Amino acid sequence: MTAAHPGAHEPGGAQPAAGTPPTAGPGPTDEELAGMSRRELVQLGGEMDGVRVVHAEPPVSPGSRQEKRAERQIAMAFTGAGLSAVAFMVLFPAWPWRQRYDGGGFQLSSLFTPLLGITLALALTLVGVGVVLWAKNLMPYEVVVQDRHEGASPEIERQTTAATLMEGLTETGIARRTVIKRSLGFAGAALGVLAAFPLIGALIKKPGDALYTTPWRSGMQLLSSNGVPIRPADMLPGSLQTVFPPVQGGNRSADGVTMLIRLLPEQAANYRARPGQESFRWNDFLAFSKICTHAGCPVSLYERQTARILCPCHQSQFDATNDAKPISGPATRSLPQLPLELDANGYFTAKSDYTEPIGPAFWERSS
Amino acid sequence: MRARTTRSHRTRRRSRLSSAAALLLALTAVGGLYSALAPSSSAQEQGLSAEAQAGQQLYENGCITCHGRNLQGVQDQGPSLIGVGEAAVYFQVSTGRMPVAQHDAQIQRKTPVYDDAQVNQLMAYVQANGGGPMLPAEQNLRDGNLADGGELFRLNCASCHNFAGRGGALSSGKAAPSLNASTDLDIYTAMLSGPQSMPVFGDNQLSPEQKRSIIDYIQTLKATADPGGAGIGRAGPVPEGLVIWVVGITLCLAACLWAGSRA
Repeated sequence: MTAAHPGAHEPGGAQPAAGTPPTAGPGPTDEELAGMSRRELVQLGGEMDGVRVVHAEPPVSPGSRQEKRAERQIAMAFTGAGLSAVAFMVLFPAWPWRQRYDGGGFQLSSLFTPLLGITLALALTLVGVGVVLWAKNLMPYEVVVQDRHEGASPEIERQTTAATLMEGLTETGIARRTVIKRSLGFAGAALGVLAAFPLIGALIKKPGDALYTTPWRSGMQLLSSNGVPIRPADMLPGSLQTVFPPVQGGNRSADGVTMLIRLLPEQAANYRARPGQESFRWNDFLAFSKICTHAGCPVSLYERQTARILCPCHQSQFDATNDAKPISGPATRSLPQLPLELDANGYFTAKSDYTEPIGPAFWERSS
Repeated sequence: MRARTTRSHRTRRRSRLSSAAALLLALTAVGGLYSALAPSSSAQEQGLSAEAQAGQQLYENGCITCHGRNLQGVQDQGPSLIGVGEAAVYFQVSTGRMPVAQHDAQIQRKTPVYDDAQVNQLMAYVQANGGGPMLPAEQNLRDGNLADGGELFRLNCASCHNFAGRGGALSSGKAAPSLNASTDLDIYTAMLSGPQSMPVFGDNQLSPEQKRSIIDYIQTLKATADPGGAGIGRAGPVPEGLVIWVVGITLCLAACLWAGSRA
């Protein structure tokens, strides 16, 4: 390490022989160096770094049967890997991948993806097998030891290194130049806080009333997914239609999505509304939010005979004939009901937005 | 019923020797009563076609226990069939769901009891009593728009029948069946009639063309080969993840252990 600093700070040519590597005495002369073989140079370099070979197994003798066999195996693995890769490249464009829709039966195209997977996996695996065989059977095996000194570095090395570092620090003059030090500290602190802004800032959003309202407004027609308004005669008893608000992108609306349900006559006769919401239904038609009040999944599994609405995520069940009250599962609140009426042309419209927040609970929710 | 009460009433008055004669008499009386009533009931349905009359025979032999006389239903046994239409009859009878083997939460598809001609006769009889949804006139029920069919299937059907049509559970032992065995007409008539738990999709809600689009999509989906080589029930990411975790990781561990034991 000290050899890297042959400058002014070195105390008088003390090449530290102290304790560390057992060097090979005075190095060879230039003539001796020129005459050394590569193997001798490797050995010399190792000795200078304190490296010793303690055990070496004789390498596979060139031209032996053992070597030939190992070579053959490795070559086979690599060739196999190459052939698998070529097979992948041939199969990719050539194998029939297009499916026939004639119903049933075995199709060659079913094998397309599996074949690509098998050939690629084979190629990668065989490269690995080849490399492992090469390392195990052909590379020389030897155990090498490098000496490390014990304890701390010699005193002289420690003091000179510390002095070099402190000298550099003093030359910047940071200790004396208080203004620069403080202004730099300020710049660093401000930049550090700035770095947090884009990360944390994106998490802080004032939701406004977004959690309390949906796109539904008074007088809005209930539209099917392809934008057609709905009349009472369009739906038979015991049917369900998913409806959307008539706004831009309404049929992808995450909070406006609503189930328009027509009960069977006997179910409608026994319908019990929540107090204060008796006027929300229109005869045997009811509209409930499709967003589960437990975790926000779409609840559109409707059983017409029992008028139950099921949530597929956690098996909550809501009774459509009783204010969509949860009767089973983890949900605890009724599905919010959209107040219904007919417009002048006889199409279903909303009397107003939902009268309570739809979907799962949140911190600020009062009910 | 009537035969039994008549018999017990008379056997109390008469001696044991004449009980056989009394039974004969009672049966004759019941037969006479039936023949006296039968013409009056057929007189009410004078407009029935020959096919519907054959259907009425089948109905009175096989369906009347649960669905009652004149299709008006029996409390806690079977619903009224007035106005359900031939579409409902086709779906229930041709898929073997009716007649039911036993009253379970879920009525299962099974080998049909009635052949095609008998199904037609039953359809004619039920259709003649109150009308209702009829079979589609089109022969090709896949003549629709595949992309629209996919959208409509995911919006209206996939929540219960699974995104690949493999069915799923409902409440209290009920289930939405797999669509694997369903023919085009099965699916069409199911949408028209809303069997069991399924909501009805009348022609004003899903037009005939939309229905055909949905059928095209379902049947295309069923005929699709599994691109990954194995569908694993086509039940989605849960079984697929399970296979990777259980089988894949076990294989990796075995490989690691084998490599370690060889080192």
